[in-house]
This record gives sequence, structure tokens and C-alpha cells, in this order.
Amino acid sequence: MNRPILLNSCARAATSAEARFRINVPIAPSRGTRVVALDAGAERVVRRVAEQPWATARFFVCKSPTLLAQSNGEVADVGLLSTHGFESRLSLELAGADVAMMVASTDDGAYAARAIGDACTLRGTMTAGVVLAGGRDAGETVSALRPHARVLLVTYDEQDVSELLTALRA
Amino acid sequence: MLRRELNELLTQTGPGTPMGELFRQYWIPALLAEELPENDCPPVRVKLLSERLIAFRDSEGRYGLIDEFCAHRGASLWFGRNEEGGLRCSYHGWKYDVTGQCVEVPSEPDNGTFCATVKLTSYPLVKVGDILWAYLGDPAKRPGLPEFEFVHVPSEQTYTSKRWQESNWLQALEGGIDSSHVTWLHSGALKTDPLFKGAKGNQYNIGDLKPFFEVAEADGGLFVGARRNAEDGKYYWRITPWIMPSFTMVPPRGDHPVHGHFWVPIDDENCWVYTFDYHPVRALTPAELQAMKAGFGVHSENIPGTYRPVQNKDNDYLMDREAQKRGEHYSGVRGIAIQDASLQESMGPIVDRTKERLVPADSGIIKARQKLRKAAIALRDEGVTPPGVDPAHHRVRSAAIVLPRAESFLESCGDAVTVIPGTPQTSV
Repeated sequence: MNRPILLNSCARAATSAEARFRINVPIAPSRGTRVVALDAGAERVVRRVAEQPWATARFFVCKSPTLLAQSNGEVADVGLLSTHGFESRLSLELAGADVAMMVASTDDGAYAARAIGDACTLRGTMTAGVVLAGGRDAGETVSALRPHARVLLVTYDEQDVSELLTALRA
Repeated sequence: MLRRELNELLTQTGPGTPMGELFRQYWIPALLAEELPENDCPPVRVKLLSERLIAFRDSEGRYGLIDEFCAHRGASLWFGRNEEGGLRCSYHGWKYDVTGQCVEVPSEPDNGTFCATVKLTSYPLVKVGDILWAYLGDPAKRPGLPEFEFVHVPSEQTYTSKRWQESNWLQALEGGIDSSHVTWLHSGALKTDPLFKGAKGNQYNIGDLKPFFEVAEADGGLFVGARRNAEDGKYYWRITPWIMPSFTMVPPRGDHPVHGHFWVPIDDENCWVYTFDYHPVRALTPAELQAMKAGFGVHSENIPGTYRPVQNKDNDYLMDREAQKRGEHYSGVRGIAIQDASLQESMGPIVDRTKERLVPADSGIIKARQKLRKAAIALRDEGVTPPGVDPAHHRVRSAAIVLPRAESFLESCGDAVTVIPGTPQTSV
């Protein structure tokens, strides 16, 4: 027999009534997301976003000077300062993370973006970038992030940072 | 992931709902012009945004879109007679013109004034291109007519079809914004579909299965760029415009016609998918037209005399597991349109977005939802006209282009994604 005879074994099962029988279990834990502000303008936004309740997301700004000595001879590490005030390193924070989100409003963080992109490539960590255009020509900022972010959102709306994190269950 | 109340806000389009009011700011496709082919032709039942209406074309060629039900006893005017400048209810002979005004009540005296007090709700219905467009909003805020390029090129350069999709409009639209599924679901079509195959760009698609994405704001909505590696250190970009609320275009391939969609809510669990193909500078060839009518490209083969696809829920979309094994169709379902429809309908009439596990590659969808939500709330709370109402926002194109790596797709493609009449599409 090649024809389904029960509603739940054919495409007609896509009804509101049949939806009652979909397996309903708690959603798996959220992704380990690390959000890094690459410049001063981005830092202001990231600090505001960090005040909201999040599941596992952690929020950082790049310390100055940004780049530490290349710890493994290949990829530069980045000094980070969490929005809670503790110091850390990119190499430490990426352990256990599966998304690194870079937030930029200028191209000041180009080197940090490269270091984050390289480190994520090495670890198989997904990268995303949010460019806060704010009505300005964001071309240089976009160019700085493009090679290092698999997904890049260029926006006039700083709320997009929290929108993305919410959608990702961060 | 969306909270339940936001999912309801975005998916409910009936009268009085925030998203319903948003849709009522725009001209939206109501019928294909072919559905009312001549004066005094049979009327057509139309359900739009959860309102049951009847469309007809009177003896003078005027189009009408009015409440489906007679004001007298509530009988459907679909059974009516379209004659002598109006639609007459078959039950007791009440007659209405294209504005919904009752012009005759046979049981009343010949010179009576009663019928002047009877008027059905009506909406303007206007032919632009191959589509009859309706405006269901406040007459005082009626915008200029649509200026999408596909309805303004000469008729021999454009073709539009439509099909019924058994799902909420939003999950259908999201398929049009989501470029990443093309690499998988539609991979077979790039090699075989007569309206896709042969383009150089297809090689880039097939050769790079992990595209990068860029999402950028546009006056009327968004541009979503998908970039893949090309030769000599360059990127191959495919740029998809979305104009609010529900218009998208697919990036072109070679000299094939350009295509796109309008997703129009019928009610909260069904939508119409209007699908167009056009070429900006040349007539469609007989072979191209034949392919479109046969359901190739992004069109569907419909049951004759209807707009329901031959492949539908009732027959499991004619799933062909052997073709799936051969790699002919990635999902085993034939045709790009029905590949999309089968999966979008399988989600259920209104997908439960509280259970999603979105990933960064879904940023286009995430941003589109945010823009829709903000526009609906700004309209409701402050009366702000949403993006995409201004006809100037309609003058966009999709594009496919190879660019040096350092160049931004939007800065380098300003002309490519803007309608310049008489110029060909930018395509690879």
C-alpha cells in the first residue's frame, strides 16, 4: 500500500486540530552567545542590552589595547571587559560559546573583528555582526566586519541587537 | 522565536487587528484580471483579509468589489445576475452597482427612495498590469497605485499566475525572505528547470553551500544579500528585496525573466500567492510562457478551472521518493513553488513560533518581523503611514552580481536594485 489511510499519516495532518498532537517538550537550553562591542558607540548600546534578562548570553567590550600577544602563534587573542566589570579573554569566552555577535558603530574595531572572526573560524563558532548605521554612511564599518561575520545586519535601529538575541533565545 | 502574543499580532489580518489594519494601508492583489475577462461576466467570490466579498465587472467595464451578501436577507450575490450596469440578487431582485449602492428594490414602488438608503460595503478595484488591485482601507488615505515594474512593462514582457496556499501568509512570506533554503530545497531546479538552468550564477550557488548573509534597511522594507565565493577573489551576490507588507523578488539568473511574489492573506489560515515573471527589456518567448503556464520556474500547475495546485495536501504533493533518491528533486516534490508550499503548509495553518530555534542566518526573517510589528504598532498608536505605501518604494529590482570583495553590495548596486525603465536586469 502506498497511500496513507489515516489523517495523521498524510499531508492533511497539517491542521489546527492535528497540531494538538505535536510533541510538546521544553525547548532546549539557549545558545551560548557572546556579544562584543567593538567601539565606544557600540559599547553604549551593548551595556543597555546587557541590563535585560538573558538566559546565557554574556556581554563584553574590547579592552584597549585590544589585541594581546598571539597566544598560539596563529590567532591573536582579544582582551575583553565584561559589562559586569571583570576582565577576560576572547579565547576563554569562546569556550562553550556557539555564537559570537560583534556590534560596531565605526570601523575602529576592525582589528578586533578580524581576531574574533579568525578565532571563531578556528573553533567552528558562528559569527554575526550588527552595524549600527545610525543614519551615517556605514560603508567602512560594514567593510571592516564583512569578512568576519557570516551574517551581517546593517540597521538604523539599535533595538535590533536585543531583537536578534531574543529570537536566538540567547 | 516569537512570544505567543507577537505571533498572533503578526499573523492575524482580519478587520480591527493591528496587522489587518496595516494591510489595509496598501493596494493588494485581489484577483487576476483574467478572472473578470469581459463586461457582464460571471461574478467571482473573493475572500481578502478575512472579509467575504464579491467581484464583478459591469456592463460599462467598471470593476466592483462589494460585500458578498445581499443587504435584504443575506443571500450570496455570487448567485446573482450581472446585467445592465449592476449585480442583481437572484433571490428577490435587489440590484447593486460597483460602488455597492443598491439601485433597485423591485418590491418597492417605482419612484421609491428606499434603495437609496441601502449600500453594501465596497472597495475600489483597479486593473494595473495583469492584476486587479483592491484597497480595503480608509478612502481618505488611499495611496497612489502600485508602481512595481512587473505590472508596468508591456504586456508581452510579463506573466502572472496565482495559487492557493493553505497556510498563514507570514510563513509563506518568510520563505521569500529566507535565501538560505534555496541551496537545499531547490537545488535540483538549478540544473533542470527551463527558467533557471544555464546561468553562470548557478555554478556559484552549487559551488558554495554556506553563503554569508547581509541584511540592510530599504525605504520600503529590506534588502537581503547572500554572498558566495566567486573566482579571482570576488564575491557572487544575490540580492532579494522585500517591500512591505508582502512583496518579494527573487534574484535573476542569466537572461532568464525575473520573478517574484505577493503573499495576500485570504484569512488567517490561507493565502493567495501571486507569482510573476517579467523581463525588463524584451518579450517573453513562447517557450518561456509555455514553461510558466506548465508550472516551471516559480509558478505552479493548477487544477484546470481553479487556482489550486495539482500537487496539494490531498495527494501528498505527489511526492516522488525515487526522484528524491536520484537528486532530481531534493525533497522529492516537483517544482519550486510546490516545494515551498509543501513545507510551509506542513508547519500547520499558523506555525507556532514560540517553539522555533532560529539561527543567525535567519536574520532577514527576524528583521522583517520586527519591521512589521513596529509598523503595525506605530500605525495603531500614532497613525504613522508604514513603509511600502509610497509607490516610490515599489521601484526596486532584485539583482545578481559579482563584485570585488571590498565592495558593499548596496553601495555598488544602487542602480542594479532600482528600476530604470528600459534597462535590463543585473544578472549573472
